[in-house]
Amino acid sequence: MDKNYHIFSDGRIERSEDTVRLETEDGEKKHIPVEHAEAVYLHGQVNYNTRLMSFLNDHGVAVHVFGWNDRYAGSLMPERGQTSGRTVVEQVRAYDDPEHRQRIASAFVRGSIHNMRTNVTYYDSREYELDGVLDDLDAAATRVGDAEDISQLMGVEASARRAYYRTFDAVLPDSFSFDRREYNPPPNPVNALISFGNSLVYANCVSAIRATALDPAVSYLHEPGERRYSLSLDIADLFKPVLADRLLFRLVNRKQISRDDFREELDSCLLDEGGRETFLKEFEETLERTVEHPELNRKVSYQYLLRLEAYKLKKHLLTGESYDPFRRWW
Amino acid sequence: MSDSPVSRLLATARGDAVDDPFRVTGVMMQYYYVCERELWFESRNVEIDRENPSVARGTRVDDSSYGERTRENLRLGMISLDLLEDDRVIEVKPSSTLTEPARMQLSYYLWYLDRVLGVRREGVLAHPTERRREEVRLTPERREKVESAIRGIHGIVTADSPPEATEKPYCESCAYRDFCWV
Repeated sequence: MDKNYHIFSDGRIERSEDTVRLETEDGEKKHIPVEHAEAVYLHGQVNYNTRLMSFLNDHGVAVHVFGWNDRYAGSLMPERGQTSGRTVVEQVRAYDDPEHRQRIASAFVRGSIHNMRTNVTYYDSREYELDGVLDDLDAAATRVGDAEDISQLMGVEASARRAYYRTFDAVLPDSFSFDRREYNPPPNPVNALISFGNSLVYANCVSAIRATALDPAVSYLHEPGERRYSLSLDIADLFKPVLADRLLFRLVNRKQISRDDFREELDSCLLDEGGRETFLKEFEETLERTVEHPELNRKVSYQYLLRLEAYKLKKHLLTGESYDPFRRWW
Repeated sequence: MSDSPVSRLLATARGDAVDDPFRVTGVMMQYYYVCERELWFESRNVEIDRENPSVARGTRVDDSSYGERTRENLRLGMISLDLLEDDRVIEVKPSSTLTEPARMQLSYYLWYLDRVLGVRREGVLAHPTERRREEVRLTPERREKVESAIRGIHGIVTADSPPEATEKPYCESCAYRDFCWV
């Protein structure tokens, strides 16, 4: 898989000969090797023109834009993606069949709970006492099959995630206390870290989905159109514990990120530029980390696991073969 | 007998079977001998991952080896010939692995030319990267093999789900590998 490039500073990016050049406001120049780029992430105020867009389009490079508070604002996707009417037809057909939709949505929730649980187990086996969380997650897991419709299923998912978030307060130091998930804007450092991590997982899922012919706006657990790419929300939920949460715990507990890395205003708290850079560097390293895949008999990167998830869903829709959600197996 | 796969294919080719058409392309014939699961994917237009290195390579060899000089890509109904040279049908393949599937693809072209267009031709299987050529003729045995393959293909592409995955030596380099096995 190719690399993601993140741009924090304000400035402009442009095509320069056969490469992409970034010029920051303080006059610094950098080049982005377009041949090896999967996507460019713009976190700062960046100017660009249509010439750059055509160039990135020709090279199949996506651009993900983050706006105020580093919230995901949208993507410019290469036009030459996969298109397959049949895939979209089957995708919508499954959404429109309540029983089928429920089956796929349940798979997402089961996988998510499993992946939350592996994080909790990891810390439970260390000095933390997280029995209560594990019990609540197990209880939620048994209720997945009883949910009668999507809103009940959403309720099960929400109660599992609430229980799971108790881990955050237990595992993180007192200076990073966390009582509940809030965003828009995040009011404290832990919420700010969760928001930032989730938005990165989300954007990477957008890229992965676009590598298939799946329509990123047709989803199963989340309502289509809830956000523009709601299928990305479905898939991102599976991967947040693996890609973002463990990283958050590690960075804070090893003091790589401290209270000083946040900008706190009246009722919002956000990572400052240095904090975001630290988080991103480790996030990108996590994406590149590899694991032996039991079915493929080779090592695959964490980033490629997102692509495989999109393949699995597409295969399920086109062939009727069962969809088994990603569950951390290592 | 009139609605057997072979007659339906011939009727489709002649434009007589609009209600219930049955088409077999050269690639489908090749896949029938390589991997039935891949054939099912192909028949349903399951898109492959174009970033896959072996797909990129195949496309490149196809496009470059004979240069612009002779490259024709003749579309004749369901089939698409790489090249006609001295009245012989040339099929270009990047390597001589999987020779029998390529031979059957070419045999199918010869069968199609004969049965649909009433033209008898000989074929040549060319491996430009290895500087190898092999002549292929439509013998009675091959003719029967082509027709039995058409019946087999019909069975696969009309099924609701693909045949199960089976491990083959060339799964390793297949464009559908990750899609298939994950």
